[in-house]
Amino acid sequence: MRLIFTNKGRMALKEISSNKCFEGLQKVFEHDSVELSCKMKFGIYLPPKAETEKCPALYWLSGLTCTEQNFISKAGYQQAASEHGLIIIAPDTSPRGCSIKGEDESWDFGTGAGFYVDATEDPWKTNYRMYSYVTEELPRLINANFPVDPQRMSIFGHSMGGHGALICALKNPGKYKSVSAFAPICNPVLCPWGKKAFSGYLGTDQSKWKAYDATHLVKSYPGSQLDILIDQGKDDQFLTDGQLLPDNFIAACTEKKVPVVFRLQEGYDHSYYFIATFITDHIRHHAKYLNA
Amino acid sequence: MDGKAAGAPPDFHFYPLDLYDPEDRLHPFPEGATRTGREVYAEMAEEASDPGSVALGKAPRALEEEVDELVHLYALGGAGEWGSELADGSAPCTEVPEHLPLGAQRDWQRGPEAGERGCVGWGATGPGLRETYRCAHGRAIEEYECYVIPEEEDEDEAALVFCVTCRAPVRALEVSDEHREHEVTALDKALESAKDEVHKNMFKLEKQILEMENFANHLEEVFITVEENFGRQEQNFESHYNEILETLAQKYEEKIQALGEKKKAKLEALYGQLVSCGENLDTCKELMETIEEMCHEEKVDFIKDAVAMADRLGKFLNTDTDVEITTQPDFEDQTLDFSDVEQLMCSLHALPAPSAPVINPQAPNSATGSSVRVCWSLYSDDTVESYQLSYRPVRDSAPGKDQAVFTMTVKETYCSVTNLVPNTQYEFWVTAQNRAGSSPTSERAVYMTAPSPPIIKSKEIQSCEEAALICWESGNLNPVDSYTVELTQVETPEASGVTESVVGIPACESLVQLQRRQSYTMSVRAHNMGGPSARSDPVTVHTTGSRFPLNQHTCHPWLTVADDGFTVVRSERKTPLKEPLPGNTRFSRCVAVMGNLIPVRGRHYWEVEVDEQANYTVGVAFDDVPKEEDLGANRLSWCMRHRFASSRHEYEFLHNKTTPDIRITVSPRKIGILLDYENSKLSFFNVDISQHLYTFSCQLHGFVHPCFSLEKPGRLRIRNGIAMPTHVAFY
Repeated sequence: MRLIFTNKGRMALKEISSNKCFEGLQKVFEHDSVELSCKMKFGIYLPPKAETEKCPALYWLSGLTCTEQNFISKAGYQQAASEHGLIIIAPDTSPRGCSIKGEDESWDFGTGAGFYVDATEDPWKTNYRMYSYVTEELPRLINANFPVDPQRMSIFGHSMGGHGALICALKNPGKYKSVSAFAPICNPVLCPWGKKAFSGYLGTDQSKWKAYDATHLVKSYPGSQLDILIDQGKDDQFLTDGQLLPDNFIAACTEKKVPVVFRLQEGYDHSYYFIATFITDHIRHHAKYLNA
Repeated sequence: MDGKAAGAPPDFHFYPLDLYDPEDRLHPFPEGATRTGREVYAEMAEEASDPGSVALGKAPRALEEEVDELVHLYALGGAGEWGSELADGSAPCTEVPEHLPLGAQRDWQRGPEAGERGCVGWGATGPGLRETYRCAHGRAIEEYECYVIPEEEDEDEAALVFCVTCRAPVRALEVSDEHREHEVTALDKALESAKDEVHKNMFKLEKQILEMENFANHLEEVFITVEENFGRQEQNFESHYNEILETLAQKYEEKIQALGEKKKAKLEALYGQLVSCGENLDTCKELMETIEEMCHEEKVDFIKDAVAMADRLGKFLNTDTDVEITTQPDFEDQTLDFSDVEQLMCSLHALPAPSAPVINPQAPNSATGSSVRVCWSLYSDDTVESYQLSYRPVRDSAPGKDQAVFTMTVKETYCSVTNLVPNTQYEFWVTAQNRAGSSPTSERAVYMTAPSPPIIKSKEIQSCEEAALICWESGNLNPVDSYTVELTQVETPEASGVTESVVGIPACESLVQLQRRQSYTMSVRAHNMGGPSARSDPVTVHTTGSRFPLNQHTCHPWLTVADDGFTVVRSERKTPLKEPLPGNTRFSRCVAVMGNLIPVRGRHYWEVEVDEQANYTVGVAFDDVPKEEDLGANRLSWCMRHRFASSRHEYEFLHNKTTPDIRITVSPRKIGILLDYENSKLSFFNVDISQHLYTFSCQLHGFVHPCFSLEKPGRLRIRNGIAMPTHVAFY
């Protein structure tokens, strides 16, 4: 158990960049993260509506190897965000510059591969607390510093970030108004990525792994109705590689009657081109609940 | 006693009710008659101002005197009765006119008691005021003044009720004694009923005034008519008599002329005779002379001449000499023939037969479905007693055929002819009659009855949030000229809204622009030459959501639509299918039916309730979608198809035989369908959980219609006329 001491006032935020986009502002900030014990950056898009009133917040979790830059430059979401009046926050995918041995060895573990868990194993457990960062520290920081309506929050992501979005929503019933994902890792305990990451961060006790597995979480999900939208490129190599395993998740949702619309998009792959194609649908999906 | 009651006639009965409240009560008595009353007032005033004092300090004796006076004043029985009663201390008689102050009664009642108590506290003011009145006693009437003394305290005193039987107010206490058997009501009620009566009388008087005024107007009119009639008769007589005079003069001339000619003839005849006589004379004379000459001649010549002469004489004397006067000097008696004059005289009383009336053309909008109002006019000089109006229906068939002619007699120059057939032309002609006979018939005019009202096909109304399409049956066998649609917004039950009309509609349907989220009452009229029909039975249209009926002509034979018009059932039984004809409107391959969606480009939303395990297809299609193909198998249809097999739900979103790969974990039981012409989209939703399922992008150049099919026996229920839910609005 950790105690988090936060300043009552504003936490120190350093604006790194700001660009006007679709009449709103795409900014990047840096701050000292308490959970991760390092400096962290995040991208934040403020729609024009945010100048005058509080807006809902939509959190985007990026996938393996991404930083806060990939989404804000490649996804092309700013127009939809501007139209629907949503503040979109895109954090980094892992702590950076922590000088942990082995953090840069693989692209799918360590740096850029936080897997949105709170690690329990050394040497990761000090810094690799992305779950708490995303669900606790970052929202607090955002709420304190930006015109955000703290009651209206949603989450989505891609690949590892899709996995992150799903588990954050499933582990916190009622916290998020809606959730969606692009090519998420639905069943990490059964796929190579997941096994590698969980054994590294959480050890060998598979029961601890299930706490971060969307398919497992759904089976015991007690909470209010979620409306989950998942887009999956049919030509996604990782799908064929068995890294994503959406069928397991769908089966579990069907069983538990959790509403999911899963779209297998013909010809699309795992890239940001795929994300860019359907990002508007996802933003609209969230806007329906955030702006209701 | 009587002398003192100055001014009051012996049978002075007062109307027992008072129109004024006690406070406003004025002395209703004539000036001089209330001396004693005033005294009593004075006493009362003293009492009112000095409640502590015992009111009447005067001796009972004086009170008795006053009472006696009052009794005589109001003709209340024997002079002594009152006094004796009062002395006994019992209640006074009921017949006390109400205008007496209550205090007065009270005084009488209390008088003796007061008197018994003795002269206590008559009051400093008392003697003075009393003196004033006492001095007034015996003076001339004109010097009396009228005082109004408020009686505020009366209301607090014993309650007053009204005895209906005695028609007088009485104290409540007295009811138990004298008025035990009588009917008693509260004073207020009595007051009200009296006021009512007075008002009624006023109403009657007003009515009377109106009637009299009307009568006066009427009399004036009759005056004028008499003048007119006189004028007409005068003219009539003048012309007739002139005619007669002319005829007489003419006859006179004729006769005289005839007579003159006769005279001339006679004279000529006579003259002729005279001339021949003269000639005869001359000849005789000539012969005489010749004979005489002859006698003087020689014998031989004489014998020759004498023989010749004898011949001549013989001839001459043989000639008849007509000495008869052929001409009678007398003239025949002329019989004067005045028969035609007599006839003329008689016809003075007989009017000429009237001339043919002029029948008017049909006034617009004067006809109903079963009647027309025929009007005609006459020459103003004619006197007409009645008219004969005849008519028969105009038919295209051979004119030789006998058709029933109806005739009726009317006195006015118009007639409403009833019991006619709607939307039919009738020929009318009219003749005028009076004692002299009938006029020639007028020209024939054709009148037309208005059409029967149309019948709106209420089950086939199509509507959306901006418009409604209604169609109707003409209601008439023959064509009409046009239709009018009338619509009113139904706002509140009491308010009647403005009625809009769409006129000049040539066909039996109309697309009307409306406002959103309102209710309208619409009805239709048919028009022809005769005017408009009665309104059709109205229908109510709600501009909430989109409403469409199912098109039975497209229904596959194995599908039935229930009576509610919105439940589509595919039963287990299968009737054998016939080979479809070309141009068939029914689905022949997929067991489907289409709706008729209003052809308005906007957003339309409807819902379908399905069984979770049913195999169904729902979506939209163009009118001309090939009916021998499955829905979604061509470019003219877009739909969502659900199949349930091996405990698995499969969903397809079909267009042109292609579908995206979509998996849905929660099977919808109610599907919402949004058709958006503006954004060229067709979206499907799970209504119960507000979940968006799929959206087609579809280029819709024309109008599409909802379509529904059941791949296996089952049912689905369509719901429309629903406002779009908010979650749908995001798409």
